[in-house]
Formats: sequence, C-alpha cells, structure tokens
Amino acid sequence: MNEILIYGAVISSVYALLAVGFTLVFGVARTLNLAHGSFYALGAYGTFLMTTSLRLPLTVAATLAVLIVAALGVVMERVLIRPLRGTGLAVPMVTLAVALVIEQALFLGFGSEYRNVPSFIAASVGVGGVDVSGQRLFTVAVSWSVLSCLWVFVHRTRQGSAILALSQDREAAQYVGIPVDRVYALVMGISAALAATAGVLTAPFLTVQPGMGLMPMIKAFSIVIVGGLGSVRGSIVAALLLGYAETLIAYKVSTSWTELVSLAAVFTTLVLRPAGLFGIRTR
Amino acid sequence: MFKRLVRLLRLPIILLAIVLAIPMAIGSVAAQTSTAIRIGVPTAIQLRVGRDTVDAVRMAIEEINADGGVIGRQLEMVVADETENPEQGISAVRKLTTDEKVDVLIGGYASGVVLAEMPHTAQAQTIYLGVGAASPSIAAKVKSDYANFKYFFRVSPVNSTHLAEGLVAFVSGNVAVNLKYARVAIVGENAKWAQELVPTLKKGIADAGLSLRMTELFDPQTSDFSPLFSKARESGAQLMLVLLSHASSDTFVKQWYDARVPLMIGGIDTKAQDADFYERVGGKAIGEFTTASAVRAPVTPKTIAFWDAFVKRYGRAPVYTAPGAYDATYLYASAVQRAHGTSADVVIPQLEKTDYVGVMGRIAFDDAHDVRAGPDYVSVRFTQWQDDGARVIVWPRALQTGNLIVPPWMRP
Amino acid sequence: MSRARANIAGAIGFTTVMVVLPLIVRGRYFIGVFTLGLIYGIWAASWDFMSGLTGRENFGHALFIGAGAYTAAFLNTVWMANPWWSLPAAACVAVAFSLVVGIPTLRLSGPYFALATLAAAAILQRLALIFWERTGGEDGLQGIAPLLGSPLGLYYLCLFSLVAIVAILLAISASPWGLILRAIGADELACRASGHNTTLYKVVAFAIGAAPAGLGGALYAHHQLQAGPQLLSVFVSVSVITMAYVGGIGSVYGAAIGAILLTFLTELLRGAGEWRLLVYSAVLVLVVFFRPHGLVAPLWHALSGVGE
Repeated sequence: MNEILIYGAVISSVYALLAVGFTLVFGVARTLNLAHGSFYALGAYGTFLMTTSLRLPLTVAATLAVLIVAALGVVMERVLIRPLRGTGLAVPMVTLAVALVIEQALFLGFGSEYRNVPSFIAASVGVGGVDVSGQRLFTVAVSWSVLSCLWVFVHRTRQGSAILALSQDREAAQYVGIPVDRVYALVMGISAALAATAGVLTAPFLTVQPGMGLMPMIKAFSIVIVGGLGSVRGSIVAALLLGYAETLIAYKVSTSWTELVSLAAVFTTLVLRPAGLFGIRTR
Repeated sequence: MFKRLVRLLRLPIILLAIVLAIPMAIGSVAAQTSTAIRIGVPTAIQLRVGRDTVDAVRMAIEEINADGGVIGRQLEMVVADETENPEQGISAVRKLTTDEKVDVLIGGYASGVVLAEMPHTAQAQTIYLGVGAASPSIAAKVKSDYANFKYFFRVSPVNSTHLAEGLVAFVSGNVAVNLKYARVAIVGENAKWAQELVPTLKKGIADAGLSLRMTELFDPQTSDFSPLFSKARESGAQLMLVLLSHASSDTFVKQWYDARVPLMIGGIDTKAQDADFYERVGGKAIGEFTTASAVRAPVTPKTIAFWDAFVKRYGRAPVYTAPGAYDATYLYASAVQRAHGTSADVVIPQLEKTDYVGVMGRIAFDDAHDVRAGPDYVSVRFTQWQDDGARVIVWPRALQTGNLIVPPWMRP
Repeated sequence: MSRARANIAGAIGFTTVMVVLPLIVRGRYFIGVFTLGLIYGIWAASWDFMSGLTGRENFGHALFIGAGAYTAAFLNTVWMANPWWSLPAAACVAVAFSLVVGIPTLRLSGPYFALATLAAAAILQRLALIFWERTGGEDGLQGIAPLLGSPLGLYYLCLFSLVAIVAILLAISASPWGLILRAIGADELACRASGHNTTLYKVVAFAIGAAPAGLGGALYAHHQLQAGPQLLSVFVSVSVITMAYVGGIGSVYGAAIGAILLTFLTELLRGAGEWRLLVYSAVLVLVVFFRPHGLVAPLWHALSGVGE
C-alpha cells in the first residue's frame, strides 16, 4: 500500500510537470505544441552531454540544460510559430516536423543506444517501510516545488497576471496593453523549462534514448484532455488521477495493462465529459 | 499567358525531372560497372546492430578481396536501410534485389521486418542470410514451403526456442546447483517472441524440479518497473528469468539495482549483451547473466582474432549481429567458390552443405536452413557481468571462465 | 481558358504522366514505390475529404487503414477467400468502424474529435497486440496472396482506383452536399442555425472518407503481402495528414499528389543513408514554414487561375 502511494506520487509528479507545461501553452497561446516531448528529451540529453563531454558537475549541468531548453522554446516560438499563427494546422504541423528533426538529430548525434545520466541522490532511502531510490524522492520534491513556484509566479507577479489575463480573454488583454507576443514567448519558455526539468529528473532512472519524447507527450496530451485543456488545476488533478490509476493497475493487476488505462481514460472523458474535469470551453 | 505558364512550371518540371532521373542514373550506373559479386545488406542502419552488421560485412569483404576474391571476382557491398518498419524493409529489399541487382542479401534485425520481406526476396530469387532475427517462424516458413522459401538461411543468432532451452539447461545445470536457488519468476516484455517462449520455460522449470512463483509480461513501453519488482519480491522468488529485447534493459537493470531487489536476474536480454552495457548503466548490471552470441573468448580459434580486429578497426566492441554477419559473408563466399557461380540454384545446395568453423562456432544448417545449436555447433552461451565490468562466461561448462556470483546485496 | 477546363486538362495531364511513368522508369523496385505512392494518395485524399472540408481533424485515419489491411489479411490467409473479396470487405469494415467512432464523437466540438480518433486507432493497435495469437502480434500476418500476377497490373489498378476515388470525392465536394460540409468547416454554428443537422453530415462524410481508406488498406496488404500493427500507428495517421497538408488541405487532389511526392521523396533520400529522415523532416519544416497553405493546390491555382 505504501509502495503504491510513493511510486504513484513519483509518476504523478512527472506527469504533472509535463501536463502543466502543455496545457499552459495551449490555454494561453492556443498553440498545440507537438514538440513538447522534444523539450523533455533535450533536457535529459543536455544534462548527459554536459556531464560527460564538458564534465560539469551535475547540478550545474542540469540547471544549464533546463535554461538552454527554455531558450530554445522561446526561439522556436519566435521563429517558427509566431509567423504561422492563425493558419490552420500550420503550427501543429511545424512543431511536429521540428520534433522529428530533433529526434533524428539525437539519433545521429548520440546514437541509438540508451545513455546513462548519474543520479542527484544515489542512495536508497527508507520511507514508510519502503526502499525508494533517493532520486525518485528528489523528483517528487523538486516537481512540487517547481509547480508551487509557478503558482506563485502566475498568481502574484505582474507577468503572471498578464498570463492569466491572456488565457481568459485575448482581446481584452490586448486592449489593456499587455504585450501579447512577449507573453506567448514567456509561456513557451516556461513550458519548455517544465518539460526539460521532467527530463532532467527522470533521466537517471528512466530511459534516455532518442525517441524518449514520444510517450511522455502522448501521456501529457491524455492528461490535459482529462483535466481540461487550458486548466492548470485540471492538469494537476488529472496527473494525480492518472498516475495513481496506472500505479494501482500495475501493482494489483499487471503492468501490461497500464497503457490501456490512459487510453480508456481519455476515451471515456471525451465521450462523457469532453471539456474535462476543469475544462475551459474553447471559443 | 503561355509565358507565365512556362515560367511557373519551370521549377516543378525541373524538380520532377530530377526526381525521376537520379534513381535511374544511380541504378543503371551501379548495375553496369559491376563484374563484382554484390552483397546487399538490408539492416536498421541507425541502430547499433545495423551499424555493426555493415561494418562486419565490410571487414569480411576486405579480407576476402585482399585474398583474391571469390571465383576471380571481387566482392562489393550495397547497404539499404530497412529501419524497424516492414514497409521500409520491403522497399529496401526490393531496391537491393531488383534495382541494385545484388547476388545475395546478408542482414536483418527485427523478425517482423524479415518475415515481411521474405515473399519479396523469394520472388526475386535472391539468397538471404539472416544475421539478426531470432524468430523460429522464419525457418518454419522454409520448412513449410521449401520451393518458395529455399533462399533463406538463418546464420545468427541461435533461434529463440533454442535460447530458451539453453536457458533452462543453464539454470538447472548451474544456477540451481551452485547457488541452491529453487524459486523462480519469469518476467518479460509482452512481445510475441517472449510470449511464445513462456511455455518452454515453464515446462523446463517444472522438469527441473524448481518452483515457479510468478509470471508477468509487461508492456514494452514500460519505463517504471517498481510495481513489477515489488510483486517479484512478494512472490518469494530468488531468481528472475528475464526476456528482454526491445524493452529498456538499461532502465530495468538500473531500477533493479537502485531498489536492491533481492532477486538475481538473468535470461535472454539482448541489450545486456552489448560490451559496453555495464558501463552504460553505471555498473548497475552487476550479477546479471544473459545469453551472449558475441564474446571475446576462444569459442573457436577465430573468435578472438575477429574481436580484436573489429575493435582495432572500428574502435568499439561488436554487438551480436557482427560475428554472424562476418561468418555469413565468409560462408557465402565459400559456397560460391564451391559452386563456381553465383546463381541461386547452384549456391543453395552448397550452402546447405555448409560445415564452417567461423567466429561464432561450427556453423551448419538443419533441414529448415536454421543454424544448428548445440555443443558441437553454435553453443548457447551465457555470460555474467561481474565486478569492474568483467564479462565472465558461465556456461557451457567447457567454456566457463569463472563461477557465478551473486549481486552484492544478496551476499550473506 | 476557364477554370473548369484548366482543371480537366490538369487531371488528364496528371493521369497521362502516371500512366506513362512506369514504362519510362522501369523496374520492380520503382513500380513498387509508385504503387505505394498511389495507395498513400488514396489514404490522403480520403482523409482530406472529411477533415479538410469540415475542419474536423481526424488523427486516427490509421484505424481505417489498418482495419482494411487486417480484413484483407484475415480473409485471405485465414478464410482462404479470393483476394478480390478484400476490396469491398475492407471498405465495409472501415465504414463500420467510422460509424462506431464517429457517431458518439462527432457531436463534440473543439479538438475532442481529433483526440477520440487518435485514441480509437491506438486502442485497435493495442488489441491487435493483445490478441497476438490471432493477429500475429508485432509481426502481423504474412503470406497474403498478391491481387494480380504482375506488379505493373497492380500499379494500374491502384492508379485507376485513385483517379476514380478522387474524381468521386471531388464531385461530392463540389455538390450542394459538399457545400454544406465546407460551411460546417467555416462556421458550424451558423450552419446548424440554418437548420442543417451538422452531426449527420459529419458522420456521413466521415464514413465516405473511411471507405477508400479501408480499400487502400486492402490494396496495401495485397501489394506488400503482409499486414501488421504498424499500419494502425499514430505514425501512419500523422504521415497521411502531413501529405494532405503538403498538398493543400481541402483540395482532395492536392492530398493525393502530396502523398505521391512525399512517398517518392522518402525513397529518393535513400542515398542519404543515416541522414535520410533528418533531411526529410528538415524539408518538411521548410515546406510547412514557407508554404503554410500547402504546395500542390496553391501551385495549381496559380497556374490554372491565370484567367482570374
């Protein structure tokens, strides 16, 4: 029972990081960013590159990786997304193509084999009678701190208010002089940073291979649907729900059914309550 | 208006012309300038297994050419990417056989892709020497429809049924005996090849008098194995037999180590065979044993020489497709030499008579053109990762270089 | 030259080129590639018909493709039926699936339909893997008999199918019926306000788009002689959408030509070895960025709309 609680928490926190970033970009910037999984992968690979080739200490490498990926997100938004805004499928298409380019570049640059990233905390810790790796607990701690900081940022700062305003009513926000483009760039940067953080945290105990971004993005997608597109609160709740549901199924039934859980959850949500748990109805 | 039309059409027409002309040009040039014997290599070139297949074939070709070639002709290689997608694989073999007009195909990795390619290769009446796919379905097709599929020979690795039988032999003959383990769990990826092996393993375990406590196949996409390890722990098993190929062995092993799971692990783990696996997982593979097609050990007089030559030439240790590809090239050359020609009709009977001591062992084919497995042929070998990344051969007894060890946290 | 005449001239020109193509560029390999291009063309055009016109993006077109291919495979290998039965059977199965998925989900607005279709294809793929004893698991089903003895024959059959399908779809889209579909794409609310049962139109359009996809799946199965779960993957769905996009969404014929071009491009880039997919995706980024409305349809409009 304790194991389910703890391992469920680990998965949920990672899902939350990924889903919140995704829904932020969609809710605020109305952008379906299909390169979201690539940010996750780049966070992990960036850390790997800096610890092996540049021999930087882990914390430095990880922070740098997150910052660089955030910058990449901003650049992508400015260069590729902004000019195409409003042209139908163009934005999802271009982000999809970028995701492919990044995956291929990782294949060519790092090879197809799985890579090893050292843990922040290598020791094993006993919690509630369960032996958990320190890295996993660290993941939970960092994820929730980051999300709390984000909450504070959004609800207590000026830029945060700008983000909220834009997500509620784009035109009204423009009327009061909020620099829409800059806020979009900021949101993309935050989203990329969240995804990269997830990648950095999980790299030591999950996979680091070129195609690693696909599944997390599909998961993020599913969670965002269940939680409601554009609702940060919804994403967090849905992340917890899905994370624990998967862990429960894995422990009680079988690990081969976990993927089916998220699919079923998505389908059920769409049929019963399409707006999701806390969804904002799109115009 | 006409001028405008022409102007607008200029670019597309030029592009179209290029699109059509290049493949024609390449195809015809290649096929014309060739008095050489052409070896087509369809493989997943982005993956390590693919790269090593290509490099091993290249190495063999260079050696054979330096030695005068085959029936007075030089060998040359043409590579085509089959990826892990059957559609690309079929395209690749179509290109190699009908456009590049190769004399033989040496390669393969994913069984599904190889199976998909078979009718097309057979249609082109081109010999195919498989070096990466282990599914018994391939040989089964040869057996059930010899007339159409006689072109296929599986050189490497030993097919998965034999591997499973070997695993059972190893467990009952070494692990159970020396470590006195009696309780076993079977854990594997939920893929067809593993599903097919489970009955063999179950029977073997029962026959050996061991107790099977748990069987679980997990989704290959799984990246978090904690639930699995937890269940394994609760089952009371001491040994976890693993069936991993496409699933993430790296992650599996790292999580096993981090959680100090009190079960020994080992079995058929394709990625754990890689020479740099131990290092890749930061040493967390200690105590895992796995089947090993490619080891740097005196399996035959040629093995170590090949290994060292490969490392010297390419700066990395070969993975399991390399020795197979190397041997396949040589035994093909030998068959062509004996047949005095490259046409499939004369080469196939010679291939069937193959009795070649290569890098992997003594290679001969059974009546389904599948490589023979066993102590006199290509043995099913097991190695274990031990302290400091040493890869110790723990089976068969004849090749054993050390005793089995137990993971550090399981030592008394 | 009027628009209509220009279009007919274009269609004849295209068909002539495609008929003559395999006679110039000979070889089984090339014919195989061309045939694949035509089949993808059928898939892309059928996707574009529904999703391009109504704007309801279907992210699970692979569902129909895979269902069609597996139907053909089962009919041929398990029930030993004559290969020609595959074509109508596959189309019917695909339509059935479209109703099962479409009826509950097409009443949803927003991106929910897209996600439901994505989920539906993924679920079928999962099921194909779960029931591996019947479906062959990841390896799929082999040993499917070819439809026609000669690859050239199959090529012409596919070409004929593509031209016929595109013609029919274009005819429907130009009809008053099609106009309503376009109206749904432009402003569904207004359309509904005018008294049309938009959900019914969408469902029927979805079914009409599903049939050729299934048919194409059967053609694929009899061309490649195998059918596997890769055909149900999101990768296939996305490829089809990409091809329609490059062709120009909503044009139907653009999707077909886009599919042919991209299929050729993929094979052409074999010379790039390991770099093939990187070059391909980079080209895609450029095309999407510089031609966000597609390549083929806008180009054709520029050529043929000379009188306008």
